[in-house]
Amino acid sequence: MGRYAIRRLLQLIPVLLGTTFLINYMVWQLPGDPFAARCGQRACPDSYISAMRAQFGLDQPMLVQYWHFLKNLLSGDLGVNFNQVSVASQLADAWPITIRLGLMAVAIEAIIGIAAGVLSGLKRGGFIDNVITISTLFMLSLPIFVTGFILQWLLGVQLQWINPTVSDAATVGELLIPAFVLASLNLAFTARLTRTSIVENRRSDYVRTAISKGMTNRRVVGVHLLRNSLIPALTFLGTEIGSLMSGAIVTEGIFNIHGIGGLLFTAINNHDFTIVVPVASLLVLVYLLANLLVDLLYGVLDPRIRYE
Amino acid sequence: MIEVLPESAGSGTHGGALLEVDDLHVEFRTRAGVAKAVNGVTYSVSAGETLAVLGESGSGKSVTAQTIMGILDMPPGKITGGEIRFRGTDLLKLPEDERRKVRGEGISMIFQDALSALNPVFPVGWQIAEMFRIHRGASRADAKKKAIELMDRVRIPAAKERVSDYPHQFSGGMRQRIMIAMAIALDPEVLIADEPTTALDVTVQAQIMELLAELQRDSNMGLILITHDLGVVADVADKIAVMYGGRIVENAPVHDLYRNPAHPYTKGLLESIPRVDLKGQELYAIKGMPPNLLDMPSGCAFHPRCPYRQETCTTDVPPLHTISGTRGSACHFWREVLDGDAQ
Repeated sequence: MGRYAIRRLLQLIPVLLGTTFLINYMVWQLPGDPFAARCGQRACPDSYISAMRAQFGLDQPMLVQYWHFLKNLLSGDLGVNFNQVSVASQLADAWPITIRLGLMAVAIEAIIGIAAGVLSGLKRGGFIDNVITISTLFMLSLPIFVTGFILQWLLGVQLQWINPTVSDAATVGELLIPAFVLASLNLAFTARLTRTSIVENRRSDYVRTAISKGMTNRRVVGVHLLRNSLIPALTFLGTEIGSLMSGAIVTEGIFNIHGIGGLLFTAINNHDFTIVVPVASLLVLVYLLANLLVDLLYGVLDPRIRYE
Repeated sequence: MIEVLPESAGSGTHGGALLEVDDLHVEFRTRAGVAKAVNGVTYSVSAGETLAVLGESGSGKSVTAQTIMGILDMPPGKITGGEIRFRGTDLLKLPEDERRKVRGEGISMIFQDALSALNPVFPVGWQIAEMFRIHRGASRADAKKKAIELMDRVRIPAAKERVSDYPHQFSGGMRQRIMIAMAIALDPEVLIADEPTTALDVTVQAQIMELLAELQRDSNMGLILITHDLGVVADVADKIAVMYGGRIVENAPVHDLYRNPAHPYTKGLLESIPRVDLKGQELYAIKGMPPNLLDMPSGCAFHPRCPYRQETCTTDVPPLHTISGTRGSACHFWREVLDGDAQ
């Protein structure tokens, strides 16, 4: 498995090169001059525009620009953005908040999603199963931004249980509702996947064997049935870490969280590609690593999968 | 771990029966109607004795076994009558917690397809060791040691090296040996083997049957062997119960049954075994189809396929007539069936 992991890591290199090149290429191809509108009411003087173009290397051919990007990235120097503020320091401020939000969302998806799925799978057709099936259907049919605004309005504005927006500190308590919003879609999917898999495996031969071995019901369900039924849910959770990141952009926008999503959101609006490129590249990296992690985890969970 | 009892002679004539199934009725309630899978089955097995339960798919032989183990899917299954006495106690009346203790300790079971019956995500040693850890509270290390001993006992080569392997890494015969090791781990008094060799090829079948017979001799347990294969039964069984349409249609000591069957169905089964001296001739087959459990024939369930059929067979359900002390036949015309084949 070690060799497999190394091979997969090496495979990341061409993928990263390809995606970062595309990101670089595409953002600079977007219509509109990023510097033309930076001087308030007046048109920017040509001297300013050409000075900025020179500073950010826009006057050079695409491939040279990309080469500079790679060189700077590898030396850890992300430079400054159009407002001459260090990009690295902005990323360093924003990442921890998004990671906290993301981890909380994954934890909520896993704990609530799997628990709900197991409960409804075991009590198939019962009251709890119906409640869970209907509420997950509800969650699945609402886009994240609708869930976000509804909860913000209901809990933050009407009931005033939470602050409608999150402070700069972004404590765990403050992030609870945003994390739930971010998790809601995947939570519902996880619950449904787990339910299906519990229902399917419940009648399986090895569960029957475990019962005939005289195992307690708790052990039959909690060890024999659960271990097999978790495989699809955990794989799903892993692969969806990437989509969680794009969901974070919306969620951070709604709750005014100063994370990566918020940063990217403002940067896109301002045409500030010095931020967009590294953030987008980082998101690609997160996505790739999450996928690798899932593939390795899959091998650990299911011994029938072998890597060589 | 498993002591050889001095009085175990391998014969089937010990005092009281260990396990008695008494007038068991089981039905399945499905959307298409009520399927009466088991209709008043009675059989028993004593220590050291082997009972073969013979019948085709849908005859109720597996459902009876699942009911004994308490692994019947309920619903749709429902036990509508009868008793299952183990050492005199009716298992069907036991609270679930005490019933659980009987499984594995008192009665255990092995299944037809060992690959699907073993949990795919746990090592085989772990699955055997679990018996000692949960039932006997053994430590992980002790339980693992005992698991290796058991794997040795069922003759899995290099047991020590293979204890951490997973089920899919073993061959079919080895997997069935692991199943057996797990079932005999706690030295149960009764072992139910539900088609233990059906999924295996012929040479492996013989090895598994030999292993079962040897383990039974050593531990003097009662063995219920469920099969549709007459060839498997002849060498190991002491007595046979033939099932058809959820009933026992004939029961007899194994040699009596082979020599002189007392039910037309048994007779048909025996005649449909390929024989060397009849090579080149068309193989005999019982005419017609097994009964539909949702719509059983009136009277004797076998009458539409029976060469001895008379008017009364279509209306009266034949009781299990006693032929002699240990023989019974559920045929109105058992005398004619017997006579027709007497030497």
